[in-house]
Amino acid sequence: MPTITIDGKNYQAEEQENLLSVCLTAGINLPYFCWHPAMGSVGACRQCAVIEYKNTDDKHGRLVMSCMTQVREGGIYSVDATRARQFRGGIIENLMTNHPHDCPVCEEGGECHLQDMTEMSGHTMRRFRGRKRTHRNQYLGPFINHEMNRCIACYRCTRFYRDYAGGTDLQPLARNNQVYFGRHEDGLLENGFSGNLVEVCPTGVFTDKTFSKHFVRKWDLQSAPSVCEHCAVGCNTAPGARAPGNGKDPILRRVVNLYNRDINGYFLCDRGRFGYDYVNSEKRIKNVLVACEKNIISSTAAPGERIHGEIHPEPAVKHLARHLAEVQQGRRRLIGIGSPRSSLENNFALRELVGKNNFFSGLSARDLQLLQLVDRTQRDARIHCPTTPEIESADAILILGEDIDNTAPRVALAVRQAARNRQKRQAQQLQIPLWQDASVRQLRVEASPIFFIGLEKPRLADITSATLLGTPEQTALFADSIAQLILGDDTGARKLAPDCRAQVEQVANTLRQAENPLIISGCGSRSSDIIHCAGKIAATLADTSSSPCSLYLACPEVNSLGLTQFFPAGEGDLEQLAHTLEIHSGTPCTLIVLENDLYRRADRHTVERIFNSADAVILIDTLLNNTARHADLIFPAAATAESQGTYINSQGTAQRFYAVCEGASYIQESWRWLVDAANFCKQKSPQLATIAAWRHSMDLSEALAANFHQFEVLEKIGPDENYRLNGLKIARQSHRYSGRTALGAKAQVAELPPHPDPDAPMTFSMEGIQSPAMTPLSAHIWSPGWNSNQSIIKFQQEINGHRLGVRGSVPIRRQPQPLPEWQLAASVPAKTSKTLTAVPLYRLFGSGELSVGAAAIASVTDIPFAQISREDAQRLDVTAGDIGQLQLGGESHTVEIRISDAQPPGTVGVPSGLPGLETLAALLPAPAQLERRSDREPGETP
Amino acid sequence: MSSTFEAEVIAVMEQNKAGEDIHKASLSDAEKAEIEREFAHYEDKASVGLEALRIVQKHRGWVSDESLRAVSAYLDIPVAQLESVATYFQLIFRQPVGREVILLCKSASCWIMGCAHLQKKIQEKLRIKPGEITADGLFTLLETPCLGDCDNAPVMMINGEMHRHLTEATVDEILDNKIKTHRAKGSCHAGPDTD
Repeated sequence: MPTITIDGKNYQAEEQENLLSVCLTAGINLPYFCWHPAMGSVGACRQCAVIEYKNTDDKHGRLVMSCMTQVREGGIYSVDATRARQFRGGIIENLMTNHPHDCPVCEEGGECHLQDMTEMSGHTMRRFRGRKRTHRNQYLGPFINHEMNRCIACYRCTRFYRDYAGGTDLQPLARNNQVYFGRHEDGLLENGFSGNLVEVCPTGVFTDKTFSKHFVRKWDLQSAPSVCEHCAVGCNTAPGARAPGNGKDPILRRVVNLYNRDINGYFLCDRGRFGYDYVNSEKRIKNVLVACEKNIISSTAAPGERIHGEIHPEPAVKHLARHLAEVQQGRRRLIGIGSPRSSLENNFALRELVGKNNFFSGLSARDLQLLQLVDRTQRDARIHCPTTPEIESADAILILGEDIDNTAPRVALAVRQAARNRQKRQAQQLQIPLWQDASVRQLRVEASPIFFIGLEKPRLADITSATLLGTPEQTALFADSIAQLILGDDTGARKLAPDCRAQVEQVANTLRQAENPLIISGCGSRSSDIIHCAGKIAATLADTSSSPCSLYLACPEVNSLGLTQFFPAGEGDLEQLAHTLEIHSGTPCTLIVLENDLYRRADRHTVERIFNSADAVILIDTLLNNTARHADLIFPAAATAESQGTYINSQGTAQRFYAVCEGASYIQESWRWLVDAANFCKQKSPQLATIAAWRHSMDLSEALAANFHQFEVLEKIGPDENYRLNGLKIARQSHRYSGRTALGAKAQVAELPPHPDPDAPMTFSMEGIQSPAMTPLSAHIWSPGWNSNQSIIKFQQEINGHRLGVRGSVPIRRQPQPLPEWQLAASVPAKTSKTLTAVPLYRLFGSGELSVGAAAIASVTDIPFAQISREDAQRLDVTAGDIGQLQLGGESHTVEIRISDAQPPGTVGVPSGLPGLETLAALLPAPAQLERRSDREPGETP
Repeated sequence: MSSTFEAEVIAVMEQNKAGEDIHKASLSDAEKAEIEREFAHYEDKASVGLEALRIVQKHRGWVSDESLRAVSAYLDIPVAQLESVATYFQLIFRQPVGREVILLCKSASCWIMGCAHLQKKIQEKLRIKPGEITADGLFTLLETPCLGDCDNAPVMMINGEMHRHLTEATVDEILDNKIKTHRAKGSCHAGPDTD
């Protein structure tokens, strides 16, 4: 560890580190623009200049760029020297000659790195009186604003978008004073990580367009640590909310990244960043709705569908309480249906209310089995669930049948970094430090081996060493031969055609020789064989190397793995529920559906059997959906950003999220509706009495910890509502939060006390602990002089290290269980000339149930389509763009026919969860028929 | 394990980034042949981008959006990346230019030797500003930092041909000659030629 001197003080520095990182780690405020903790240095902006002295006799020294200077033992530097300060001031002054004077109307203002650095460099007067160069801005889609006049040409945007995220449509154009960062022509930025430009850009060139629609300054946002609910990766987010001040409901205004080293680091995907807006959507349930008794003339409701009107919550809760009372008297059955998109706490509350035998997962048998298999696989001691930095350091990766670009996007971004590991190793051999970004990227080295086998050509195809496309059955066969070959058994491989055999051999050899091999798979193909094979390969590799092998299994939804923990193998699926209900048809039955649209989970027949057997359907949910049409009573549920709870991500990590704001109207956490009903019950069984006594979210977390050994860790994630720091709770609002009296003035001129929070160690107020350095429970990342998100470096143990303080993410403790013996069944896919097999395709925008409720995402979501191979298109006599009729599982849908050379013949790709086709997702893969029709437009309901 | 594995169905796609649906604007056979000759000089296809743009410009006078897309499809590099190259180099024309492109040197030597007067002369004679095309489509005037011929200042280059020790009179004569030649060929009222 070299010892260096900066302005007369000694510091210990990491070997090979650059001087800028060392200064920032030491807490020295040194301005910079182009350096980024995840992307290293390129020395483009010249802002971080310092003086380096040859030795103690050297009184003059020379200017060096600290980001490009490797520290050396005994090095003497000065940040404070007048010459260095003047130089840095000059750089800012030069940048400012073209930067507009628009801070008051710029959406970056108040969290602008350029503002911070300008202040820091002491450049407070403008001397330049000439004309500023002006640019025309581009339309970049519904997510990102473009204001090129503000650009300071630091190149961070293209370094992130092109070099880090693999985008190809954002480039530096022109040169000199005219440098322009944009697309070839107007249009949506194609890369799924484009939203990070908002945070990567040190000034206001790229800003969040969805935020613009309800913009307020950063300091006026109320925030708390949250977890993204749009996939199972579990990225940490800091959503921001604020009431509009006109007496209307509070608005969830934006989502920004919240640093978590092991999961999302500095970056989110666009579904996660822009999907928040579903909370403000018109489909949001804000009041208690009850089905009307009488028919309404000219209603568009189909037979069996209900029409609803708003009622006050009290009679509704009393109604539910009456049902609970009848249950206790044995005159009624109560069935609870949980949800993989609701918290552990909500699911647990419902399970306790209905009893574990009456609690069902809300998933089809196929889905639940897949998840239980994932859970079982992860319990094997030979399997290791990798963190994001571990994925990034894998030296050989095999992706089996999982379209991670669309099902676990943040993992795909990590895989993209892993492709550079050979290049990085070469750099180390050449003594080039890894932060020398441009130098390392210039090295012409073969990409690290990444193999993809799946249905659709992935975005990652530009960095994979081989992309193999095939049906799920073929993927499983291929994977099985790899597992065999690693063990030295080539019977499987010998049956393959020569080119496939060569591929299998190459993959097996590469994995066997790798030091950190990584297998990635998941539920995306909806094939248990593929997950079995992935587990088998990982276990085999672990056996041969006698250390656990990394296996990432992507789950479909935010709490899929958490929900799975409630059900023993073979229990809790919807088909079973339909069966049970029909057997016990004598007793009246109330069905409580928790945050779940059953039509997305099972075939229409099963769902209708369930609804027909229940004489009362009660739904607690956030958005109106198909299930809501059949509900007698609908309670408004809090969205993630309005509630507290725990999610278990695909890695098996439990993460607590906290309410950012209170839900509008009567919205509250689902479990509170159940507790309210229990409280209205006069006669309480001991079980009901326990439920009625729950007051805080942490009461449920503690009960979960006491009831399930895997959830014991829940007690330790984050403190409870009684936690105080220096006698204070943590403030959700910044110390500059404005207008707290005025905001509510429309309703009441007096300043009321802040809304009480019974759940969290936080307040909906400015009073309390403001410093993110004191606790990671503060999501308001801010430090004096550092108003932008760059201030996160102030709260890390070291640059790119863990966040200071107790971690809010802890792996759940599951009983280790070795993988069961398993053999791939010989399957001969029956092929008839007319039938195609429908297989799921995934889309970043469209496949997420909640995120398509966000207006911006809905505007770029595809129309219903079905994708077939050229061969099948010829056979069916259809051409691309034809309107077709897709028959699947007794349903018929109008779709646009698309043709892809990559689609395996005999299959038809159906976008999973896409609006209009959402009821098909649970049926895939399944036999299907497709034929041309020309009398309807796509998207029109048949 | 099943022996019905159909290897031909698993398509082995080895790093073929050519998208299926990219609109294929076409390059002429001559252009393709010239571009292919350049492949030998570079490590990969993407590096040929600049040369390919020069070749296309040689044949078509300038690089239109369609030409840019055609080169992008032919070389299998993103159109934005090619645009980045095209807009970096001043002498890749992304707008139509006249038949004669005048590059007037504005370096220090030429400035001392009075290039400002020459520029005024040219602008008045042709009635164009730098970057514009004359109404008859004959001339485009561009300023350039240095043509590397300082000992013969002031200088200008017209379609690759150097003109040295310029005076207002010689400029007049050179331009008149050009106009005369084009009138003789009957091409001066054709407007900007883009083929």
